[in-house]
Amino acid sequence: MVKVGIPRALAYYQYYPAWKTFFEKLGAETVVSPPTNRAIFSSGNSRAVAETCLPVKVFFGHVISLADKCDYMFIPAIRSLGRKAYHCSKFLGLPDMTKALVPECPAILDPEIDLNKGRRNLEKIIYSLGSHFTSDKGKIKKAAEEAREANSAYRREMSDRGTTPVQVIDGICQSKENSGLDSDVSSQLKIAVIGHAYIIYDDYVNHRLISRLEAMGARVSTPEMAHQEALDIAMTKLVSKPHWSFEVDVIGAGEYYLEAKFDGIITVAVFGCGPDSMMVGKVRHRAREFGTPFLLLSLDEHTSEGGLVTRLEAFVDMVKRRKRVCV
Amino acid sequence: MRVGIPHFGLVYIPIKAIARKLGAGDNELIIPPLTSQRTLDLGVKYSPAEACLPYKLTLGNLIEACELGADTLAHARGTGICRLGYYAKNQEQILQDLGYNVRFLTIDVSHHKFRSIMRLVKDMTNNAPWPEVISAFYFGMSKLFALDKIEKVVHKVRAIELDKGTANQIYREAIKAIDEATTGKEVRRTTGECIDKLNRVPIDPTANPVKVGIVGEIYVVLEPFANMDIEMELGKLGVEVKRTMSLSRWVKYSFVLNPLGIDEWKEVHKAAMPYLKRDVGGDGWESVGEKVVHAREGYDGMIHLAPFTCMPEIVAQNIMSSTKEDIPVLTVLCDEQMAKPGMITRLEAFVDLLRFRRKRRGI
Repeated sequence: MVKVGIPRALAYYQYYPAWKTFFEKLGAETVVSPPTNRAIFSSGNSRAVAETCLPVKVFFGHVISLADKCDYMFIPAIRSLGRKAYHCSKFLGLPDMTKALVPECPAILDPEIDLNKGRRNLEKIIYSLGSHFTSDKGKIKKAAEEAREANSAYRREMSDRGTTPVQVIDGICQSKENSGLDSDVSSQLKIAVIGHAYIIYDDYVNHRLISRLEAMGARVSTPEMAHQEALDIAMTKLVSKPHWSFEVDVIGAGEYYLEAKFDGIITVAVFGCGPDSMMVGKVRHRAREFGTPFLLLSLDEHTSEGGLVTRLEAFVDMVKRRKRVCV
Repeated sequence: MRVGIPHFGLVYIPIKAIARKLGAGDNELIIPPLTSQRTLDLGVKYSPAEACLPYKLTLGNLIEACELGADTLAHARGTGICRLGYYAKNQEQILQDLGYNVRFLTIDVSHHKFRSIMRLVKDMTNNAPWPEVISAFYFGMSKLFALDKIEKVVHKVRAIELDKGTANQIYREAIKAIDEATTGKEVRRTTGECIDKLNRVPIDPTANPVKVGIVGEIYVVLEPFANMDIEMELGKLGVEVKRTMSLSRWVKYSFVLNPLGIDEWKEVHKAAMPYLKRDVGGDGWESVGEKVVHAREGYDGMIHLAPFTCMPEIVAQNIMSSTKEDIPVLTVLCDEQMAKPGMITRLEAFVDLLRFRRKRRGI
């Protein structure tokens, strides 16, 4: 069976179920790299130019770990996923950067996704991607439809039950309510963790941020746990037309959780991220207007776990004290 | 309406010329002081820490324009992948927080460039009749073309002049003279005179200077403050600089030839194809392509300029090192932490390396 490698990084967290369905329906097998670990982290780090941002370096590490385990590597070049809303340059350059930096990588499948070019163009791209596996156009069409359904089911699963992508993908179907961390839900701190999916769900990169917060007694919500439409509405209040596809996850989610009167907002960004450098300011601005505690964690490959934990503890203590005073 | 503009190389000269020609009426064009350390300090102070250098410098310019009483600001806007699309939106917020109640007029530099600039000119001049607008625009552009033409000669002379600094002196005078010229005829005459003067500068006839191509992100390439006068410093080291990118070229193609379907970067993109298949925003694709082209054309080396954390240029930088066409590339990242002595040391080392390579190859 043909094996398609999917690096567990970047767009993986948002689209893996769709990709898996698509390739499996076409009779291929998907191979996913293991969760980020030290070896992946440092091998990716050693290949890329120093200025490259952390998640992209990690991505190369995942590609390296998969290189000898698959026949194709699936690295879509994502230009745009919404009308006039773009992805970062690095997503577009990913397939070519991988080719340059990971020469041992098998043949790369690099469909260019640009929804600005319309539906027809997307269909054409899906056909040419599918044609690597079958010449039956009907089969490709069916696989694409099923992938689309898998994607909406995946999103629904997260937003309806408040689970993270990792939990859904791994099939851990426990929703927050019965996780038994703290039975008294009303007294729990509600903290929103905002940022790109590939940072907030990569436990190696963010030093297990979410589970640490939960251990400190907080109820964590992420952009994926809210309904897409609600985030869109919140975002449109602040920016009439988004320039980046990530705005909904940062500005939209920030505004949404601020309006939902969360006790604290933690924005997780990586050093050198272009879109973040422009967007985070807006969330901070709004948080000040709402009077909600706001913490910006900027991660890079040197972030030490100790420093991060201290800052988290201080933030959570502050939020707790504040809540006690307010109530 | 008092319209302020950010600086971008010498672009203020043609803009000033257009405004003066059209006699803006109640409207006034405010050109902030040339980009200086103060501009940078202001920009850095009020920008998000991780914003790129062009963002910080243009914000500094705009603040300085506001201090001079601007109530409207003209700025570039891009649709596409790089941060440029966000500049105006974000900077407007910052200026408002600082208490300047300003309005932004943006020029789309990705699509409909000509229409968008003409609209702005019309707005600024209370709807002056089209023939006047076009003729003033033409006059402004003649200055831009004259400046770039002189600069090309300066690049050559600077590398081989016997008395270092002569060409720069002439260039500085030329900028002033062209800025002050009031008619098309005067611009042409001044250009001719300056080029003559440059051609008469005593040079070393036997010199075979090292040739270096300059590529990278357009703002830091064309704004000498941002790149710490890198071209001049290379000239001092006896290096002949060639840069494809220039404002006049941009104007020529965006306004005249692109609409006719002629793409100035076609060859460069074709050269980049085996390594980078698509536009990645900004000037990343062009940087990769130009490396290949420069290597084929027998350049000794290439300097790649990029603002620190520039996304498209990081893509280019990651790819450039592995092209089959081999030519030394020095990537210089520009940000507010950059210091001139450090940069000069790097340039000296780079130029030494290029000379050594030449010697080894027996040139």
